[in-house]
Amino acid sequence: MSEYSINASGINISFDGVQILNDVDFKVKTGEVHALVGTNGAGKSTLVKIINGVYKKDSGRISLFDKSSDYDTPEGALQAGIAMVFQDLSLIPSLTVAQNIFLQTHPYRKGLLIDDKKGNEKAIELLALIGVDTEISPSDRVEDLSVGKQQIIEIAKALSHNPKVLILDEPTASLSSVEIECLFDVIMTLKRKGISIIYITHYLQDIFKICDSLTLLRDGEVVFREETTEIDLKFLVDAMAGGESETISWNRNKAKRKGTPILEIKNLTTNKINNIDLKIYPGEIVGIAGLLGSGRSELLQALFGIDKLKNGEILVEGKSVIVSSSSKAIDEGITLVPGNRREQGLVLDFAVQDNIVLSIINRLKKFVIVDKVKIRNIVNHYIKSLNVKTQGPDQKVRFLSGGNQQKIVVAKCLASDSKILLLDDPTFGVDIHAKHEIMKIIIDYASKGNGVLFVSSEFNEIAGFCDSIYIMKKGSITEFLSDSVSEDELLYKVQ
Amino acid sequence: MTNKIREIKWREHVIYFIFTGIILLFSILLFDKGFLTGSNLMNIARQTAMISIMAVGMTFVLAAEEIDLSFGAVVALASIITAQVLRATGSIILAVIAGLVIGAVIGVINGLFVAKVGIPSFLVTLGMSGIILGIARWVSHLQSIPINNDVFTFIFGSGDIGSISVLFLWMLLAGVIGHIVLKKTPFGRKVLATGGNKISALYSGVKVSRMKLSVMVINSVLAAFAGILYAGRLHGARYTLGGNEVMIVIAAVIIGGTSMFGGKGSVIGSVIGALIMGILNNGLILLGLSVDQQMIFRGLIIIIAVSLTMREKRG
Repeated sequence: MSEYSINASGINISFDGVQILNDVDFKVKTGEVHALVGTNGAGKSTLVKIINGVYKKDSGRISLFDKSSDYDTPEGALQAGIAMVFQDLSLIPSLTVAQNIFLQTHPYRKGLLIDDKKGNEKAIELLALIGVDTEISPSDRVEDLSVGKQQIIEIAKALSHNPKVLILDEPTASLSSVEIECLFDVIMTLKRKGISIIYITHYLQDIFKICDSLTLLRDGEVVFREETTEIDLKFLVDAMAGGESETISWNRNKAKRKGTPILEIKNLTTNKINNIDLKIYPGEIVGIAGLLGSGRSELLQALFGIDKLKNGEILVEGKSVIVSSSSKAIDEGITLVPGNRREQGLVLDFAVQDNIVLSIINRLKKFVIVDKVKIRNIVNHYIKSLNVKTQGPDQKVRFLSGGNQQKIVVAKCLASDSKILLLDDPTFGVDIHAKHEIMKIIIDYASKGNGVLFVSSEFNEIAGFCDSIYIMKKGSITEFLSDSVSEDELLYKVQ
Repeated sequence: MTNKIREIKWREHVIYFIFTGIILLFSILLFDKGFLTGSNLMNIARQTAMISIMAVGMTFVLAAEEIDLSFGAVVALASIITAQVLRATGSIILAVIAGLVIGAVIGVINGLFVAKVGIPSFLVTLGMSGIILGIARWVSHLQSIPINNDVFTFIFGSGDIGSISVLFLWMLLAGVIGHIVLKKTPFGRKVLATGGNKISALYSGVKVSRMKLSVMVINSVLAAFAGILYAGRLHGARYTLGGNEVMIVIAAVIIGGTSMFGGKGSVIGSVIGALIMGILNNGLILLGLSVDQQMIFRGLIIIIAVSLTMREKRG
């Protein structure tokens, strides 16, 4: 039995003259869970796409189980035993679970036709392997399932190819803690079967829970490869950041809860949330902690005019307002950084500057024409103050890294001069540096007397960052915490 | 210097090369048939003007990630209504307003079904085109409606100011205004955002429904205006006007660089695309090709040109 399922050495690749990976060595032992870590733009995606056959390396060697390999298509990679579960879901919403799992292989035929019955049976087997056969039925339509469940079906889909190496790209990002535990059980099961797993994540603590070793990439080069038992979180963060060691303690004075709330919600009810009461005071950062499905994102969407209210009242600075659409919300001083930046936050083919000013484009005209000078000034201000890494205001946002894309979304919201900033998982898929920069900007915004409502799936962020916290479960608020609380306590309270 | 040359986005400007290429080709092939003469070129402009104006409207529609298949019928109906009002009242102003209002009303109906009811624009406008054409035939009793008003036909069709055709001037006007609105006004930005990613546009406070409604109205009104110009040029209106134009206009807009997938639109490109179509037409006729041959060639060239401009979109 070969020691290494994947042994890549001297991998080089460049795009348009820019060197993305430089002499990278990457090894995964058979039956090992190996993490691939690095900030946004470090080259993790690119390395993995080479392994997965999507990109062709410029130079270097890859051998699988000691046999040199030369596939250069995703199909070739699959045949070689490498399967990948992507960060963005690739399921067909209108088809069933079983149909999606066997989309490429369709192995079960009755004569010429597809045997859905057998497909369903085999799907159940795969789902049982993952431990979710009681919660997901093979005939469920994917579009009816939660994002967390869809993620699990993606894994089942990858497993249907009987891979020897499984690549998981941010698998826990949209999973609840229960689902994450499930996932870790699955990973252990696969490990025992001798399957190697490449685990890409920004959730560094998960790495120490489930991974045996890790490779750290920075700027397209390998910094080190270590066993997880040999290092700790602080060391890893230091190395990622290139020397800046800090567990951020956000040194800020807790905002005082007095006077008129800048935002007050009474009895807010939509299809997804029930009778929500909530207050945010000027200068306060209020957190919403809850699992996926708790209604936390839906609360923000109701406040931003995306979901229709069935009942309830919204008061901005004591004055009752009707938020019937997103543009009305912005007029009333409420703005939202949505949960999915690529689908909801950005027009990917627009330039950086066009994205930043999109919310306020009406205010930026000279007679009828857009005022280019005004726009440039605003845009340059935000590029600088948010430290956005871009070739310039004219670069298409599609080409920015995740963290910088997120900064553009935040810039757009800040540019609208709102009083209340709603944030839905603003640091999702964002590297540590960008994360800290975004948090600092939020603190700055709040310190000017504005209000912030902060939804996040990272409880340590909420614990360390918010002045007060509302706990949400299944569409309702169950608790209000005004004293400081630890991540563990939060994790417990949201269950 | 060579770096600069490499920086020019070749693919985005493919259309200009096609344009120059075709002009050169025909100039050489048809030199003796008078292709390059001032009168022939102005002729091309005359023939292309209406297509160009409709292409301006279609640019907005495609940029918002919608489509309009009803505008050919709008051309017919608007021309008929304009002609009839002119005959009935003798007032040019009333006639033109009537034609444009018809366009606006149809645009609003299209827009409401697309934006408020949520029916795909392809289906709505396909259905509407049948309805509108039926009304055009009915209202005109299948007859041509002659126009004898010289002022009208001068302003809206056959007039020349010096050696420049009035139609060319209308085309310029539509092109310039269209370009400025799409590229340089907040409205244009919002249209492009709606087509680029309507969800993100919504989350950015853009009234997406309103944008979709607006572009349908713009297109219908411009199509109505094209109808008025046809009526002026041909000294009469008929329900057959605009029948062949739908595909030519859409092809012109796509060749011009406007993406069928929304978010990207160039009015200038569309006008040039229309000119290419017009030059093509003109050249094929001068070459002496039969109508059948012309149709085949035209179709072929449309496919080639569109594929060339679309190749850059993927990836």
